[in-house]
Amino acid sequence: MTENTALALEDLHKSFGATAIIRGVSLDIRAGSCHAIIGPNGAGKSTLFHLITGRLKLDRGRIRLAGHDITGLSPHRVFRHGLARSFQVTSLFPRLSVFENLRVAAMWQARCGHAYWRSVAGYPGLHGRVLDMLENLHLTPRRNVPAAALAYAEQRTLEIGLALIGGAHTILLDEPTAGMSRAETERAVALLRRLAGGRTLVLIEHDLSVVFDLADTISVLAEGQVIASGSPQTVRGDAAVRAAYLGTAAEDLA
Amino acid sequence: MADQAAPQTALLAGVPGRSRAWMIWLAATAALALVAPHLLASGFGISLLNRMAIAIVFALSFNMLLGQGGMLDFGHAVFFGLGGFATMHLLKLADAGIFLPVPLLPLAGALGGLVSAVPAGWVATRREGTSFAMVTLGIAELAVAFVVMLPQWFGGEEGVSGDRSAEPALFGFDFGAALQIYYVIAAWALLAAVLMWAITRTPLGRLTNAVRDNPLRVDFLGYDPARIRFLCFALAGLFAGVAGGMQALNDEIVTVSNIGSAASGAVLLMTYIGGVGTFWGPVLGAIVVTLLQMALGTLTDAWQLYSGLLFVFMVLWAPGGLSGIILSHAPLLRAGLGHRLLARYLAVVPAALLTLAGLIGLAEMAYRLQAVRSGGAPGRLFGFAVMPTDPVAWVAPTLLLLGGLLALRSLAPRARAAWQEAHTLLARGTPR
Repeated sequence: MTENTALALEDLHKSFGATAIIRGVSLDIRAGSCHAIIGPNGAGKSTLFHLITGRLKLDRGRIRLAGHDITGLSPHRVFRHGLARSFQVTSLFPRLSVFENLRVAAMWQARCGHAYWRSVAGYPGLHGRVLDMLENLHLTPRRNVPAAALAYAEQRTLEIGLALIGGAHTILLDEPTAGMSRAETERAVALLRRLAGGRTLVLIEHDLSVVFDLADTISVLAEGQVIASGSPQTVRGDAAVRAAYLGTAAEDLA
Repeated sequence: MADQAAPQTALLAGVPGRSRAWMIWLAATAALALVAPHLLASGFGISLLNRMAIAIVFALSFNMLLGQGGMLDFGHAVFFGLGGFATMHLLKLADAGIFLPVPLLPLAGALGGLVSAVPAGWVATRREGTSFAMVTLGIAELAVAFVVMLPQWFGGEEGVSGDRSAEPALFGFDFGAALQIYYVIAAWALLAAVLMWAITRTPLGRLTNAVRDNPLRVDFLGYDPARIRFLCFALAGLFAGVAGGMQALNDEIVTVSNIGSAASGAVLLMTYIGGVGTFWGPVLGAIVVTLLQMALGTLTDAWQLYSGLLFVFMVLWAPGGLSGIILSHAPLLRAGLGHRLLARYLAVVPAALLTLAGLIGLAEMAYRLQAVRSGGAPGRLFGFAVMPTDPVAWVAPTLLLLGGLLALRSLAPRARAAWQEAHTLLARGTPR
């Protein structure tokens, strides 16, 4: 692990019953990079995210976030060390307005704590921060609509917005463009590029055009192990990756 | 600290458009509370108002959990009752000559509610959903057992009673008179309601809504959902305790029945009937159910049956409660679509009245059959002599009920369709 490592995974292991899902994953994710994790279905990508963010407990291994040991911490504590995530299956606050969704996501950063004696509108910067994010997400006209009433692509955009607004320095995005059309995907990629601004992005993505568009490092996960890691060029030429990606995805890679 | 430079304008900027509406509401409510006892200048009227005020605070505190936090608390009366006991013990101390101003005693209720809600919440809020509800049911049973076990503190079957007018008068008020205690209770109700409303606008209030909608996501945004549930639970217990303190002053007695499951059921009933989706829904529910209880209670022994029927009706056909009905019609009326509904709605009214008459007829006959069998008089209903022992007399209400239900079956769907059409028109007419 070097000085500018945002996230260091050291020999992570996780089994469900007799089935080993993650079998000794080690990765160093450079601060400020966009690191894509790809791999066939069932490779353990989402499980890896759940382990990093504290949703699932590790069997073995160590996780460091910007030098802090975050192994075994619960999700909200991991967040407080500067790591946010988005979900593959959209996970919003359905009855709250778009504005309120983003405001809740920005509260910890705005030092709201658990205050019940002070109006939430009185926190300096919080309101403006939400308005800026609404503008960036192109959701300003929809600010008062309950999240449940948004169109699918709008919900996906808000999902990304919730991960980005909280001021985390490392952001895990679990298939941010899942289910989006070509045009919507391009808009989401542009959004991520615009808002990343020096932060570390870790991306699970099936859409390889998104991966090659955004990522500066790619790791390939297969059967719970990292089988290749490096620049897009190196990974593209790797024989093991080609073997893991038999079928249509192999043609995409070429 | 630069952070403290929060300008006053930022406070208003957060509530676009409606920033001043609450002041008007507050002023109107305060004015109404001031004149109400003079409009209903009778002992019954003032006692009705007191019960409403107490029920409003209790229902609002219950809705902090159910509506705001998505927590169904089956033992909320525990905090109401223990708040009442705390207040009553201080009232007795005051009776014994210690200087404690009577109007401030509900503060002891707040403390009693809070102190009992902290350990209960510490256990219950670790879980959500059904498990939470189950735990609160257990806590309620425990609390009743605890109160029964300690008669020296809780007075056993008779409860604890005191005399609010036994203290030396405060600025010439001794609070014995109904009107004087009304103003004390109304002031507490207003204060508690304003505070509970204010809490919805704070970070904790908004986080509570977020935890209701999606606790998992809250966990990934830096907050422990269990801690948010706990804080909400403790505050809800505090306000339930205030309501209990208000009731202790009003009734001058607190018994174990005030913490029991019937009391917890009653607050669930009124909150749900009013509607959990809005802040003011429970206020409406508290007013309507209290009216039903007190007005029907003097007219018929079957009032519990009627409020139960109302509850079942609301759960099945108007799950948003009274406030949900109002909210789903207000935009239609504002858009001038009311005339599309009126005819279809009016057509339902006679059918609904027929059904209701049949139901009431059968319910009253059944209740009075009991009365006749134990030697009482059956009395009259809608101007007719009731003859519950005559089988033929049962035919009329049965026919009314069946006829009403048949008419409803064809008319109610048409009213619903009119409502849906109006909403379709509204959606089409309003630009996004």
